[in-house]
Amino acid sequence: MNKYWIQVIIAAVFEVFWVIGLKHAYDFWTWTGTVIAIIISFYGLIMAGKKLPVGTVYAVFVGLGTAGTVISEILFFDEPFKISKILLILLLLAGVIGLKLVTEDDVQEGAES
Amino acid sequence: MAWFYLVLAGIFEMCGVAMINKLHNDRDWKSLVLLTLAFGASFLFLSLAMETLPMATAYAIWTGIGASGGAILGMVLYGESRDWKRLFFIAMVLSAAVGLKLVS
Repeated sequence: MNKYWIQVIIAAVFEVFWVIGLKHAYDFWTWTGTVIAIIISFYGLIMAGKKLPVGTVYAVFVGLGTAGTVISEILFFDEPFKISKILLILLLLAGVIGLKLVTEDDVQEGAES
Repeated sequence: MAWFYLVLAGIFEMCGVAMINKLHNDRDWKSLVLLTLAFGASFLFLSLAMETLPMATAYAIWTGIGASGGAILGMVLYGESRDWKRLFFIAMVLSAAVGLKLVS
């Protein structure tokens, strides 16, 4: 695995951090942390997208981000495990990933420039 | 109200992504300012939606609106491919989002 893919994974971890922050931040420092996490995750995603195929990068990123938020809200924030909800989130995720992967050719110029 | 905020957050995200593309081509200050405002509004409304909605549901739908809305925008405004596979995945995202609204 090359360093750009590791960068995608790190970006996805910070994505989960800011999603948690948007829901649970309560004071100046937690909001500052949330904004920093947003910047790190966007920066990592954009930089990795310059070296790797954008559609694939986005698909992996959003897949990890979604899995991370689902798992952390159940593990850390006492959200009930509801199978219908998990299945629908999986369906939505499959749609987003499918869309990004079949659109790959259209966005290639963006990746190269 | 939370669902309304969530849709608004998704729409602002679409605008933000459109501005990233514009910035890529033009490299002007106006696009950068609009980009910042669009994403700022998007995160603000996403956080308002999350006051009542579970975070994973809100996040997934926000991503879904951004991706499918961006694709629809590209088809309507920039003549991007209207291939059946793209339409199929967009329909899949939207029906899953409606489903999430119904079960929550």
